[in-house]
Amino acid sequence: MLHQKLWDQNAKWAADCLNHPFVRGLGDGTLDTEAFRSYVAQDAFFLQAFVRAYALALAKIQNMEHAEVFHGLIGGVLDELKLHAGYAKELDIKLDTVRPFPVTLAYINFLMARAWHCELAEILAAMVPCMKLYHHIGTSLLPQLHPTHPYKDWIHSYSSSAFEVLCRKLEELLDRIATDTPAVRDAYRYAMQCEVEFFTAPLQQS
Amino acid sequence: MSLASIHNSSFVRTAGHLWREGTESQFLDAIRDGSLPQDAFQRWLAQDYLFAKGLTTFQAITAARAPRSAHKVLIAGLGAMDAELEWFEQLAKERSLDLNVEHHPTCQRYVDYLIASAYSQPTEVLLAILFGVEVAYLCGWSALDASGPYAEFVARWSNDNFLAYVHQLHDSCISHPHDSQQDQFNEVLRHERDFWQMTYEG
Repeated sequence: MLHQKLWDQNAKWAADCLNHPFVRGLGDGTLDTEAFRSYVAQDAFFLQAFVRAYALALAKIQNMEHAEVFHGLIGGVLDELKLHAGYAKELDIKLDTVRPFPVTLAYINFLMARAWHCELAEILAAMVPCMKLYHHIGTSLLPQLHPTHPYKDWIHSYSSSAFEVLCRKLEELLDRIATDTPAVRDAYRYAMQCEVEFFTAPLQQS
Repeated sequence: MSLASIHNSSFVRTAGHLWREGTESQFLDAIRDGSLPQDAFQRWLAQDYLFAKGLTTFQAITAARAPRSAHKVLIAGLGAMDAELEWFEQLAKERSLDLNVEHHPTCQRYVDYLIASAYSQPTEVLLAILFGVEVAYLCGWSALDASGPYAEFVARWSNDNFLAYVHQLHDSCISHPHDSQQDQFNEVLRHERDFWQMTYEG
């Protein structure tokens, strides 16, 4: 399976994320609230680009069965944005005035350049890491949950079976549409690198 | 338009410190005094070639989207990119250097910015982005004397034809104004600054 092969080839980046101080703090609940606020604002900004990328990918499909999958995936991101809106209310973040960090902008430009300009296989390869990695992190942090854990909603969301289903649908689409080309491998790897930097930026800003 | 009038243009004056940061670099200083390390030269050659390929894509999309009134300068610029790419390829061949390398993350960011913008920004803003790319290169290289081991490079990006092209791009920006032109001109200068730093430091 291509999705598994790409995940295995990029295991280093997944490990870097799990060992990242931001993710460790998210897991044991010691993450600075200011860093989490900063992260939520950036992630909400990024997810708006993710919706657009799915929409552009949908415009390139060859059959209507794939349209249904993208329809579900877009709904999934919109649900994720509702989660962020909830955090924003709770933590008093003004999502409509967020200014993106350079790493957020770089990740968005990478994604949008693929979405506008490249074939569906490459777009999917650029989008799978975000989904797969978050499910991986969510399930890995699950054993640390306790009733008063400050980040339990985040961990529950990304370890949930609903999120796992979305992740699998996207990976299945990748397996059906993409082949193991240098462009596909580069897109997947670069997205993984962007994810690591995405966790670093809020710690530097807070 | 002379170099002096470029430095006095509203784009450059409004950019402030970003202009200096995007047009001056340790790399160009080392070209000037002949102390450029070989690895920095090789990195610049390969990454600038990859950048030029990305810029060609940007110019093609921009030309396709632009109104007829902006076609002359855009199509002339796009046509010149073939010779530009061939120049890099020939140079790499002569020096047995491999151009088939991965994008450095800094180069990747610059190219992604250009291609994402090409499809999503108004065409008036794309003119300002292209003007920013070209005017920064013109002024960066024009600050050097066309002599010494890199005289060919200096002459290539500081000659009167290139100056005239940049002048036409500036005129096209002025005749196709947009409120976001300056913001994106500044963004180009940030990418230029990071790119030069990458070529020297790796």
